[in-house]
Order: sequence, then structure tokens, then C-alpha cells
Amino acid sequence: MNRYLILEDGTVLKGVAFGYSGDSYGEIVFTTSMTGYLESITDPSYKNQILTFASPTVANYPLGMGLFESDSVQVSGVVARDAHAQLVIDQSWLYFNNLLEEQKVPGIDLVDTRLLVRKIREKGVMRAYISSSPEIPNEFPDPMDEDVVSKVSCKEPYEVKGEGKHKVLFIDVGAKKSLVKELSMLADLYVVPYNSDFEKIDFDYDSIFISNGPGDPSHDSLSAVTDFIRKRSEDTHIYGVCLGHQIISLALGGKTMKMKFGHRGSNHAVTDGKRIFITTHNHGYAVDRESLHDTGLKVTQWDINDGSVEMVRHEKRPIFSVQYHPEASPGPRDARWFFEDIRKDLEVH
Amino acid sequence: MPLDRSIKKVLVIGSGPVVIGQAAEFDYAGSQACLSLREEGIEVVLLNSNPATIQTDHSVADRIYIEPISVDAVERIIIKEKVDSILPTMGGQTALNLALRLKREGVLDKYPVRIIGTPVETIDTAEDREKFHKLMLEINEPVAPSARLTTRNYESEISNLDIYPLIVRTSFSLGGSGGRILRTKEELTVLANEFFRVYPDEVLELEKSLEGIMELEYEVIRDNAGNCITICNMENLDPMGVHTGESIVVTPSQTISDQEYHNLRDSAIKVISALGIRGACNIQFALNQETGEYYIVEVNPRTSRSSALASKASGYPIARTSSKIAVGYNLTEIINPITKNTYAAFEPSLDYITVKIPRWPFDKFEVERKIGVQMKSIGEVMGIGRTFEEAFFKAISSLETKESKSLRLSVSDDQLKELIKTPSDLRIYAIIEALLRRWSTSNIRQLSRYAIYFIEKLKNVTDKLADLSTGILPENLRELKYTGIPDSLISTFTGIPETEIYKERERQNIFPVYKAIDTCSGEFFAETPYLYSTYDQESEFLETERKKETVIVLGSGPNRISQGLEFDYGSVKAVLKLKKKGFKTVMVNSNPETVSTDFDISDILYFEPLSLEHICNIIRRESPCRIIIQFSGQTGQNLAMQIREIFGDDIFLGTSPESIEAIEDRKKFAEALREFGIQQPEFVTVTNMQEAVQAIERTPLPVIVRSSFIIGGRAMDIINEKEEVYGRVTSLLQERPGFPVLLSRYVEDATEIDVDFVSDGKSHVISGISVHVEEAGTHSGDATMVLSPDLPDPQTGVKIRELVGTFVRKYNLKGFSNLQLALKGDELYVIELNSRSSRSLPFVSKATGVDWISVGIDAMVSGVLHAEEVHPKSYFVKIPAFPFNRFLDLDAILGPEMKSTGEGMTAGRTLEEALGKALRMMNVHIRNKGSVVISVSDKDKPGLLEIAEYISAMGHKLVATPGTRHFLKENGIDSDVIYKMEDVREPRIDQFISENRPDLIINTPNSRSGSIKDGYQIRKLAIRKNIPLITNLKLAEAFVQTLKAGEKSDYREIREYWEEP
Repeated sequence: MNRYLILEDGTVLKGVAFGYSGDSYGEIVFTTSMTGYLESITDPSYKNQILTFASPTVANYPLGMGLFESDSVQVSGVVARDAHAQLVIDQSWLYFNNLLEEQKVPGIDLVDTRLLVRKIREKGVMRAYISSSPEIPNEFPDPMDEDVVSKVSCKEPYEVKGEGKHKVLFIDVGAKKSLVKELSMLADLYVVPYNSDFEKIDFDYDSIFISNGPGDPSHDSLSAVTDFIRKRSEDTHIYGVCLGHQIISLALGGKTMKMKFGHRGSNHAVTDGKRIFITTHNHGYAVDRESLHDTGLKVTQWDINDGSVEMVRHEKRPIFSVQYHPEASPGPRDARWFFEDIRKDLEVH
Repeated sequence: MPLDRSIKKVLVIGSGPVVIGQAAEFDYAGSQACLSLREEGIEVVLLNSNPATIQTDHSVADRIYIEPISVDAVERIIIKEKVDSILPTMGGQTALNLALRLKREGVLDKYPVRIIGTPVETIDTAEDREKFHKLMLEINEPVAPSARLTTRNYESEISNLDIYPLIVRTSFSLGGSGGRILRTKEELTVLANEFFRVYPDEVLELEKSLEGIMELEYEVIRDNAGNCITICNMENLDPMGVHTGESIVVTPSQTISDQEYHNLRDSAIKVISALGIRGACNIQFALNQETGEYYIVEVNPRTSRSSALASKASGYPIARTSSKIAVGYNLTEIINPITKNTYAAFEPSLDYITVKIPRWPFDKFEVERKIGVQMKSIGEVMGIGRTFEEAFFKAISSLETKESKSLRLSVSDDQLKELIKTPSDLRIYAIIEALLRRWSTSNIRQLSRYAIYFIEKLKNVTDKLADLSTGILPENLRELKYTGIPDSLISTFTGIPETEIYKERERQNIFPVYKAIDTCSGEFFAETPYLYSTYDQESEFLETERKKETVIVLGSGPNRISQGLEFDYGSVKAVLKLKKKGFKTVMVNSNPETVSTDFDISDILYFEPLSLEHICNIIRRESPCRIIIQFSGQTGQNLAMQIREIFGDDIFLGTSPESIEAIEDRKKFAEALREFGIQQPEFVTVTNMQEAVQAIERTPLPVIVRSSFIIGGRAMDIINEKEEVYGRVTSLLQERPGFPVLLSRYVEDATEIDVDFVSDGKSHVISGISVHVEEAGTHSGDATMVLSPDLPDPQTGVKIRELVGTFVRKYNLKGFSNLQLALKGDELYVIELNSRSSRSLPFVSKATGVDWISVGIDAMVSGVLHAEEVHPKSYFVKIPAFPFNRFLDLDAILGPEMKSTGEGMTAGRTLEEALGKALRMMNVHIRNKGSVVISVSDKDKPGLLEIAEYISAMGHKLVATPGTRHFLKENGIDSDVIYKMEDVREPRIDQFISENRPDLIINTPNSRSGSIKDGYQIRKLAIRKNIPLITNLKLAEAFVQTLKAGEKSDYREIREYWEEP
């Protein structure tokens, strides 16, 4: 069955349908990761986004070999070049296809994904429809206008009994499971939704961690979190990853900006000037380096190619965060020291 | 850390003659290294004995020593050139071993010189199994568990042991058997009980068998700051038990998860960091997907064949980056030259699949086709596509073998099952055959242990092939092309000529698009047009306006016997010359080992099969353009007429396809010679058995039998017996029906001469005349050749020039040609003419100091012939390297079928100096008071006397088989007796060799026919025991000549040999 990918610049790409049979809408982005297709599509940071795999083969190994980074498929759609091969193999496997059907996520296969990557590289991320008709709709509203975090943040707080004697307030703005798991290796966690009444939290914590998540960090829906972080930055240890890192930067007076097409992949090198770390990236926004003057935050790591801010650390206070994903999954684990740093920092209490 | 300013002059060590396991990939690595160092203002001295390489050219290195790769030579170079550093990680195992020897023999301590890049200690640890295992245990990384059993401990050890299945090996080799696999405690107990009863003092070595589980490789680079990146990983389709050089390999891995990918990546980085590698290396893993366990198989602490593959598969210039690290840089300081917009510090992302398939010599050698832990393949091809199917079948169509063309195997189901189970070059075809027979994929998986994913992918293709019917152009042609099915296979399965399929595609406008390999999946803008075709929507690097005239140069595809590195030398030099002349250059090749497929050689690189389909697609895209096929060996010659059918004559630069055909068709050529009044060995051609019977009865023996279209002497033999002539003619007629078979008289005891020349259709210039040491009848690629100031004699020289002139005019030869002649007495016989670049041309270029490729390109493209013949100022020898130690079932004798894999070159002020170096390079020499085993045929006995006399007079011991000994005795030369292996008397030759280790064995076959096996056992023994062997009396004579001269040789920069002393 034919299916169409329609971009806001008027490009219409024809492909073959798989997964859910309905239409879909979102911001179209691409990842250059060559492994971890399940990890990617279940990553809440991709909420409201249609994910294009630059790597042509998707679902080339059984689904069961991957990890769910959340309880559901988060992307709005999947665009692939060669995803259909695996769908016919061994009946015992949980089909990628079935999963997408069940989760109401349409896929489109046999698309010239390289064309799409190049287009996004040239024009920046765009809004796009996955549709059964090639007709170009009149409207392309911004999918990031929505309160996307509300779709991925946990609904109720919960405790995770972890290791160690420390207690961390874990603000879930769309956390990946492996991030929760990594943190739980360091401390007991109290995971709370993004819209909690932070003043009334019934948990005696000594540090705050803000997770990864989707969307624009300066979105109104996140202002309560940002305010809370600003308040607590005087007296608490604060760490963050991805969206969490951006929120920390905003809270301390920095600014964030939308990138042309972002970083999404598992091969980006970040550097501290001496060493490099190959890291997993998934961000469409970045912290504005210039805006960090007078915030006390120093840029301690940046992307080796475009110089975008990848890590900040407060000059005086126990606050640091990274833009990339030290928890990997998918991707390389070069930045595991990040969790070690948190462990050491927690010990200082 | 920036550039280390103390490094001013570096010696780069090459890998020497092409042998199995060490081929063009080190020319690629070495060339890239040299250029990368020179970019930094460092002076580069290169040592490599291989004349066919591009690196031994002054455009690549400042100072070049084409000399044996030895401690001796390096020491001289250190003194002469005052080099301050040595880079040994670009020349394969040869260079690495030399570095270890330089250390061991104190050379590194004696002079102010150091090894740059990975330190010697690291190399030593990585290469020494025991040290390596110890280090792995220390850092807690798994290697296959092992144990040692002795009489005393074995009972208790066995009761505690749980590493089944395991391989058991004895501490001494039992007839060379590699070891046995045992699966249970009971089996091991029985074996150990029996073993220790018989050999109580011996030891049993046990190691967990990893056979059957997955094999993966990672290519890793580590810099001076300890930053470590993996360039890409490679998944072997063949499970453990098959050498990775013998495996079909896909990049990036397709069937492992993100977790598995990064578990191995983590391990790779940990191991490489612990070893302290500085630069590139390769690590191999065995992975058990059922348990998640992995084992480290080995680390290659240098650039390797896999690095070349990884470079071409990912676009990342590994050798280049590695060289920069060797002179002090870190990854954060090196720009990625493909994108020119990003840094070398990143890991490539691939948005395509590559498949590598080895190229084995089984089309040439009638030997055991099973493959395993030892390499037998000579070269490899890589296919690139957006799907596995597309990449895989591009690789298949690059192979140019009988099976790759037919795809089908006519075997019974039982045989098929066996073929799928047992690793061999045929396994992949057996899997395809089974799919065509509708066997289930799970059954095939069970038998082959290939991942089901790949089998399913192949099924996508076989399902479509099975639907094709003879004589009918498929209606779903477009669909077939999108599935990745080559035109050649559609042709095979429908019987419709490939040219027709191309024309049909043209009618329907079914053409591929071209996409770039850019290291980053399109994420960044890349400036380098390194392209592959695929059936998709968008084409890249489409030229909107034509600024320059375009010339396409075809490469020569996979390295194989008779077609290798020497053609890549030509391709690269040609491209560089054309660039200089202002053309836009386009390179097409499918061999990942080569320099020609380096991204910055040509203006546009198409990494594609050299098949009609792809060549035509590229011509069409690049049109208007012209094409040069003279550097693609027989591959291009064979395609010329078909390309002409589609694009006409005008597209060709160089000799026209019509002339090529007139020369290649042995029948036409022989008739033409007759017409021109040129002397040739008498011949007769036959096209059916009836004619054959008559011809065979009439023709005097011995005869040379060959097919009319040959590929490097393929299907050729000198035959002495009538019965065998029948056999050969029958099989040739069956194999290539319709192609005439030629029977020609073999001119005995003639001298063979190779003439390379360049011409413009009217006039010509001789590039070089090389004279063979062995008599005519030894394939020119297998002969030891001499290019010297004294040969041939002036009279013969005049005749040769006349002949060349005649050929140039008659065939309107343009560009490069090679003429092979036999000289007997005063008579000159024409054996063969090739209207293309030859195997000897690089040798000739390096001996004369003239860039003949450049001269030929001018002649071909501009019609100017400006060079003059050069009289050699020194003596130059080209000596072949043979793969006999890899094929013990191949008789080590020379004949008209080529057997060598590569060659070395030496030079000298005298013939003896050059020859002596050449022979020593091939390990032919005699120690003081050494011994020589002699066993020669009756025919060779008279010629032996002088040789034996001299060797004996030198104080060496002669040992001879009874017949030879008897003959020597009659002529007053004493020798000890040994008996042949089948003899009951003692000492037998095998005993003697094991106990005394002679320095040399001279054994000549009794008859010139390859089928006569007398002496075969002796030769086999020599090869197995690694004793130098001479099988040709002329070569033995030459050897004695060098002994007589006895002078010490010196090593010189190649330019010194171009001048009078």
C-alpha cells in the first residue's frame, strides 16, 4: 500500500506503508544511529516528531533484542529505507510492524531517506504529515506549540529504591528508562511529574536531577520547573541531562535556541579541550553560549564540529549538566563518568 | 599535542611482494601514510621491494629504495639517509616483524632512530599469544578459556573442566592436523587416557571451541592523548572457524543489537587502551548471541586488510589519520578530509551497506576448495548498496568467476547439503542454489549457521530469479532492478544478452541514481564525490555544466592470479596524468584494497562492479566522455566489444575494440601472423571434437593447448601425452562451447622475451625489453626476468623493433602493448600480443626511470609520442612470489598456467648483484657448509654438472636421489644418497629434511607436463618444511652464477640505478 510523506516545503515522497494504517503529523527529524531502533522510537524526547532513520536497515534484528526506553512508542511516525525485510521472518518474534500497529504509529518504508536527510540538513527541521493521500494540506501547525512534556512525564510520583545512602528528587520531563536506572544505581529516587507542586513534595531529598525530554525548554509549561530549579540552585545539588540541562541553564539566567536540524545520532564527539567522548545526541535545542555570561555556569564541553554547548558546570555551586545522553541506549558509553561525577558529588554532602 | 617537530625524516616500510594475506591494501595504507607525512613537511624514505606498487613512485615518497625488506637494508638506509624515525605499521606483518627484529638485533639502539606510532612493546604484546592472554586476564577481558593436561593432573583437571565443545591439540603436531573438537567429558576422558598411556611425557592443550558462533571486527583508532574511536564494525557472515579474510563480511553489522554492538565497542576500547596502541588497529571478537558472552580473538596492532576495507566502507581515511597520530597529532586536531567540514574525531555513520566477498584462485588451481583458519584468497571485492541485496549482488558480479556468473550449482541435494555445511568458496552459491530449490530458510540456517536475516535477504532475490523464464524479457524489470538484481543475472536466467537488457532499460528509462559515501550519513555537507549507484530517488554530484572533457578509467577489479596491483599502478598514474592534462577524471573499481579507490585520486570515484551494466550506466551519466580500458587487465578487454555495441567506437581511447578482438582471438591472430609473414609456433585450431581428433593425431608433441580467449594464461598447459591432450581439449570445448581451442607446438629450450611498448598508431617507442631466466614455457608472470644493458643482443633488438613496428601499423595500436616472444637460435617466434598495460610495465618504469604511463596517456589522448627509448644503466630483476605454502595440494612447478601472486624487484650494478639480492629475498641462499638436495630430470642432468660441481667445490654438501647421484658420480662429483619417499630404503628424503634441514632443494620435474607427478612429493615436502626450492635448471644456473660472483651487495635509492655508476 502506498503512503506519502508530505513536508511543509511542498515535498511529497512516496513510500510503502507499514505499521498503523492511520495518518500522522509531527516535526520531521533524522537520526544517524545505526543501531538501537527500538530504543530510539521509544525515547520520549522524540515526542511529536516523525523519525527518519538515515541508516537504511531498520528492524534488521529482532525487536526482543532491543530495550524499551519508555512504555510506548513515542515517535509520531517512522520513515525508513529498508524496514520491510524483517517483517516476514520467524513468527515467534514480536514484530516491529505489530508493535507500531498496536501503538497507532504509522511507518513509511522504501523512502529515499538520504534525500530527506539532505533536505533537512539544508532547510532545517520541518513539519510533516504521513498520509495515505499525496494531497498537500493547507496547514502545518507547529507540533512543538503543544505542551509535549505533559504527554511523556509520569502522571503520579513514584519511589525507586536505589543503592547508596543518598536521596534524589528526579524530575521527569520525559525520562528514558535507562536514565532512571542509571540514577537509581547512585541513590534512592523520588520520581515526580513535571507539573508537581514542588514545594509540597513529601520526600526528603538532598539533590535534584532533571531528566531528558521533548520539545522547547522555554515552553510555558516548563516555567514552574524552571522557577523551582532557580530557587533551589542556591542550596541544593542539581544535575541534568538533555532537556534537564537546558532547564538548568534557563533557570540560572541563560537562554536556549532552536537549532537548524539538531543533533540526533550516536557518533558525535564532544570535547573538553583535551579529551573527546563519542556520545549519543538527541537535541533540537541548544543552550546559547553567549547567554551564559554572569550566570555562574561555565561551558566545560562542546561539540567538536559546531561548537554547541554540551556541558555546563557552575563555578561555585554543585550544579552540572550535559546536553547529550551519558546513559547511551542507543549509542556509545564514553560518558559514563558523568554518573561517577554525580556519585562523587553526592558524597560531598 | 601538535606536530612533533623532532620528526624530520621518516622511513616507511612497505610489505613487499603480494602474497596471500598481504596484498594491495598495504600499497593503499603506505601511500596514504607517505602523502600524509609529506603534507606535514616531513621527508619520507620508502623501502619496498614491490615494483607494482604506487608508493614506490617519487610522486608519493621523496626517496625510494626498491630493495629487499631486510634488517640489512634498513640499517644501510638509516646510515645513508640519516632517518630519525621509522613507521612500521603500514606494511603489514612483514614490516611489523621487521620492526621487532630491528629491536631484537639492536639496530634501534645502535642509531639515533626511533619507531613512531604504536610502540614496539605494544606490538610485541599484541603479537605474542601468551603475553596477550595475560594482559586480557589482567584487565578482565575474556579470551577463550584454555587448559593444559599432563599425565599427573589430567584426571582432576578433567573433572573440573567445563569448556565444551573444546579443541584439543597435542604439544607436537600429528601430521599437521589442526586439532580435534570434543563435545563431552566422556570423549575427553577416553582420549586423555589413551594419549597419556602412549605419550606419558607429552601435554594436551585444550581450548574452548568458538566454532559456529558469530565473528565480528572493530576498526579502532587511538591517539596520543588516549582518545579512542571505532571507525566501524564488520560482521562476518561466516561464523567462527573461517579466517576473516576468507569470510563474507558486511559493514556495518546488521544482526546485532545496540547492546551487543556497544558491549563489544566498550571491550575494544578497553583492550586497545590497555595495549597502548597509537594509531589504527583491528580487534576481532567471537560473540555468542544466545548467551551474550563474547571472546577476544585477536588484535592486529597496525593497519590491516580490514583497515582498508573499513576505510573504503566508511570513507574514513584510517591510514592517513593514523600517520598523523604517529607524528604527534591528536584526533581533535585532524580535519576529516572527506567532508573537509568536520574533525577526524567522530565515528562514521553509514547510510548504506557494504558486502565484501573474497576472491579465491580456485578457477586457476585445481586444489581443495575448503576454507578455514588459513587464508587462501588472493583478493576481494566490495559491493555497496542501500540494501543488503543490492550490495551483495554487486559484490557477486564483481568476482568474475564461473560460479558468480551462473549462480547455479548442478549438484544433488545431498551434495548441496554438504556444500552448505562445509565452508568453501562454493558455500554462498550452495545457499543460493538451495533457495532456488525452495529449501526453507531455517533449514539453510541450521546447516550454514548464517544469520537468518541474510538468508531471508537472499531469498528476496532468488524468489524473483526463480520466476524468470528463458527468452522472455521480464515485465517487472524495474522491480528486479530495485531489488538489487544485476543485469548479468537477469541475462543468465533469461538467456537474453546483457546488451539487450541494457537497451531495454534505456527504453524504459530504468537507471540508478548515485549517492555519496560521506562518513556521516548526509548529516554534514561533504565535498568529496565518492559514489555508488542505487535504485532510489535522488542523485548527487550531478554536474550542471561541463567545464572539462571527461575521461573514465576502468580499474582492474579484485586481485587475482594474473591480474593485480600492477594494473592499479597504471590506473592511478593514468588518472593523475589525465588530471594534469586538464581532464575531469573518473575512476571505476570494485576492489577495496586499492589506491585507485582512494577518494582523492580521481575527480569522481565510482565504487562499482566492472560489469557491462555498471560501466554503461556510468558512461551514460558522464556522457559526453571517453573511456580507457587498458589498465583493467583482461576485464576491460573482454568487455570492449559489448561496450562498443552500445556506445560505438569513438568512446574508446587507445587501441580500438576491433583490433583488440583481432588480437585476443587466438585463431584470428595466428592467421594474421601467417598473413603478415611473422614466425610463430605451428598451430591448429579446433572448434569441435571431430576436428580435434584429426589435429591431435597430426600435431607433434609437446603442444600447448589453450582456449581462444584467455585470461592471463588460464586454461593453458604444455602437454606431452596424447591421451592428456584429448582430455584437455574435450574439457575446454565443453567449458566454453563455440570458442575455438588452439593447439600449438611448444618451442623447446627457447628464451622468452617480454617487450613493453607505447605507440600512437603510427610510431612507437620501446619501454623495456625483459628477458626471462627460465626458458619459454614458464608463464611470463611466473618467470624471473632481467632487464639489463646487455640483453637482448643488438641483432635481436633490431628484429624486435621491426616486429613491434609491424604490429603497431597493422592493428593501429594506441597506448600500451606487451609482446611476448620466444628466441631460439636466431629465430624469433611470436607467442602473444596484448594491447593493454602489462604486468611488467611498472617494473619497466621503475627500471628505466621513465613514467611510461604518462608517455602512453599522451600517445593515446593527444597523439603525441615524445619519449625516447632508454638504455638501462643497471641490472634489474623481477622475481615472482608463489603461494605454494597455502596450497600443499598444488604442485610447485612452473608452466604456462600462472601461479604466482606477486613479485619483487631488485637492482644491481652487475647482473649477479641484482639476481643475488632477488634470490636471497626469496630465501634462496646457502649457509656456510650448508647442504643442498638435488633431484633432477634426465633432461636436466647434463646442465646440472656445472652447478653441482661449483656447489660442491664451495664446501657444501650435496645430497642426491639415486638417479641424480649416479649421474654425478659418473662425472666425478661426490654426493650423499637419499631415497624418495615411496622408497623402502633409508635415509628417505623426508627423514633427511626433518633431521638435517638442507638450505636448498633443486628439483626439476621429469616431464614438462603439469600432470606428471614425479618429484611432487619432494616439492611438497620442501614447501611444507619451508625449505627454499628451485624447480627450474636455468634458475639454478643463475643462482650459481650469483654465488660465483660472491660480491657483497649494496642498497641504493632507485634513482642511482638510473645513472651510470
